Amino acid sequence: MRPTLSRLGRTLAVGVSGLLLLSACSSGGDTTAKAGSSKPVAGGTLTTAVDTEPVSWDIHASTQDVTAEIQRGVFDSLVSQDSDGTFHPWLATKWEVAPDFKSYTFHLRDDVTFTDGAKFDASVVKANFDHIVAKETKSLYAANLLGPYTGTEVIDPQTVKVTFSKAFAPFLQAASTTYLGFYSPKALAAGAGKLAAGGPADVGSGPFVFSGYTKGQSATLTRNPDYAWAPKTATHTGAAYLDKVVIRFLPTASVRAGALTSGQVQVAKAIPPQNVTALKAAPGLELISRANPGGNYNLWLNGSLAPLDDVRVRKAIQRGIDVEQDVKTVTFGQYPRAWSPISPTTPNYDKSLEGSWPYDPKLSARLLDEAGWTGKDAQGYRTKGGKRLTVEWPQLSIQATREGRDVLGQAVQADLKKIGVEVKRPNLDIGTYNTQVYGGKANIIDLSWPRFDPDVLWLFFNSGSAPAKGGINATFLTDASFDAWTDQGRATLDEKTRADVYPKVQQRGIDLAVVIPLYTQVSLVGQSDEVRGLTFNASNWLTYYDAWLVQK
Amino acid sequence: MTRSATGPAGRIAGHLGSAAAVLLGAATLAFLALQLIPGDPVSVLLGPSNSGSPEVRAEIAREYGFDRPVADQYLHYLGRLLQGDLGQSYQLQRPVRSLLADQLWPTMQLALAALVLAVVLAVVSAVATAGRRPGFRAVASVWELISASTPSYWVGIVLLTVFSFRFHVFPVAGAEGFASLVLPAVTLALPLTGVLAQVLREGLEAALEQPFVITARSRGVGLTAVRLRHALRHCAVPLLTLTGWLTGSLIGGAVLVETVFGRPGIGSLVLQAVSAKDMPVVIGVVLLSAFVFVVISTVVELLYPVIDPRLRSA
Repeated sequence: MRPTLSRLGRTLAVGVSGLLLLSACSSGGDTTAKAGSSKPVAGGTLTTAVDTEPVSWDIHASTQDVTAEIQRGVFDSLVSQDSDGTFHPWLATKWEVAPDFKSYTFHLRDDVTFTDGAKFDASVVKANFDHIVAKETKSLYAANLLGPYTGTEVIDPQTVKVTFSKAFAPFLQAASTTYLGFYSPKALAAGAGKLAAGGPADVGSGPFVFSGYTKGQSATLTRNPDYAWAPKTATHTGAAYLDKVVIRFLPTASVRAGALTSGQVQVAKAIPPQNVTALKAAPGLELISRANPGGNYNLWLNGSLAPLDDVRVRKAIQRGIDVEQDVKTVTFGQYPRAWSPISPTTPNYDKSLEGSWPYDPKLSARLLDEAGWTGKDAQGYRTKGGKRLTVEWPQLSIQATREGRDVLGQAVQADLKKIGVEVKRPNLDIGTYNTQVYGGKANIIDLSWPRFDPDVLWLFFNSGSAPAKGGINATFLTDASFDAWTDQGRATLDEKTRADVYPKVQQRGIDLAVVIPLYTQVSLVGQSDEVRGLTFNASNWLTYYDAWLVQK
Repeated sequence: MTRSATGPAGRIAGHLGSAAAVLLGAATLAFLALQLIPGDPVSVLLGPSNSGSPEVRAEIAREYGFDRPVADQYLHYLGRLLQGDLGQSYQLQRPVRSLLADQLWPTMQLALAALVLAVVLAVVSAVATAGRRPGFRAVASVWELISASTPSYWVGIVLLTVFSFRFHVFPVAGAEGFASLVLPAVTLALPLTGVLAQVLREGLEAALEQPFVITARSRGVGLTAVRLRHALRHCAVPLLTLTGWLTGSLIGGAVLVETVFGRPGIGSLVLQAVSAKDMPVVIGVVLLSAFVFVVISTVVELLYPVIDPRLRSA
């Protein structure tokens, strides 16, 4: 496969899908009456098209959003978090948090059964958490979510105590995610390979049963008729309305859009920004766009490596990129430009950063002069002592084209060339990329890291999250203020403290110019108007439990 | 007719020997490629944005034997292959053999449907137009050229747009029954049809100029009968060779077609494996392709004498 050919194919495909959307609009006329259909009805099959297929279906091992999103219907959690960040009972009816945040005691419901008939109780909680941290599980994410976990104690069948070696306030948030959901004891015994393969081996207690999976094609969830323990965050109780949810894996964007406009699927995720206008105009279709919580798509500047060890050079680069214009052009105006390393839908977002560091190439020039980069070479790049001002920003070949990031990168390169900074973008494979980037040999790293909690800032800025320790702190700096604030935020659930420290972290990140936020990722979901009640949870994942179909 | 002492049995034994050599070569190349990938294999396995804890890394290294010398790894690898063990997928946590087995049937269905369609279309197009009026022939030739040179990715999207999104004749994706096989099979067959028809027409036209055609015609055999019974048989050998070779290439074509149509199969498996750097799966597919090529070329060679009596004497 030659890349040029596939790019041509893509361009053609986009063009064709544009035509198709137009023709779908003009042929409309089958708009269904909306009147008298506000009362949910049970029954029907909802088909959703998604762009990625899970590599592993094991919620305890996988890092993938798509795994957690689909499996949300199959697995329940201890608690549920609403979009304001408040926690509500789910499998736990109530809980006590120790004042030092080193232990959490949960009181469990006594009426919960798994779909294989096994009963949910304290021993199941212990078995699942112990399974997550066991090294055979090779957990890549859930184990991180358990933080400094030391163990789970079964106090009585309806009470468990989870303990940590250090204060760990983000635990409730972690416990609300699919990644810390519960397998039935029999499923756990089946072993990691079975869980990862998906299908009926993945037994949970959720509103749906994972009834079928055809690799490369689709996954099917069927209603669990006995479900009676929905969280307070849902809009109804009892069994789900839908008989069946079919999730189809359609990696080609124009095919997803076409399947939606032709009514072969009722919901399509990851609508490409260039199709949004046409889709909005199509009758019978709606577009939902929601900003993802957590880390934005940011550039991280390596403050430990020349020439970016000089804050003036970093600042010059930060102010020398026309973020507003670049993002608008590349994402067809669908993604908002970002001002903070975290998105506006994340709790404790610092709104005061908005507009505080506008594009200012004149300031950049002044800063570079001050930093001693006063020479100019034949290509127009700045030099100091005969050395060109060059920064290296490697790109990962397999991810380069995601959300047009390769094009955005070119725009950034062009902006920085204007202020005399050369940006090199070597195209690397995963192995070389990881060695270079995590070894701190790159000047700039781009990263997006969605998660519904400001504790994500700990991952970005705390020295405990240094890449050498398996973390993602790409500033490569050890900064006492960052460490103190993010540790403080992590060690408390006190809203006042968090509202104090987290904005300070965001502010300092921008001031030190170790981060250049580019855009907030937005979920663009198209849905037919026969679909009702489809909701997003706090992590912006579709939840099918409350969804129902208008009967025609 | 004289037959050599070894006969067909000896021929088959010879084929099996060279087939084994081809497979060993493919296995060795795949192993070498794995060794040549830059970077630490454990990092490669863990994937991007993910450096993993030391415990996880040690577990992977131990499980896959990265701490042993390369020669040791190679022998161990060949030994495993001999037992039919293609290893374990790092990412999917499943044996590669069962993954391939699960995905083989949908691809076989697609490839067989495409092959039959391509051969039928090519024969019809060539027999109908060879040596006929130039205008007629030119039209056929142009459409064959277009179908041979259009990227199948694009053909697939155009077919979907027209027959699925616009007129709702066929479903968009999946492998559920005959209806969902039509568009992918047509997409995969078109480039094949173009090449086969062009070659076949050329062969037919050469055969039709041979003296035996005039002889046959003078005995009162009809024009169409001459084409089908005599001339077609003359150019069937190159057609067979080419078909065999192109059938092997269908696996490659399936990557694009399966992706566009959201079909399960070897193609979508290999795409996922390559993008996730799932090397055991990639190697498994390489070996499977080598095996398919060997099987096809053996079948083709065994078919030659059936078609052409002159090849029967050793």
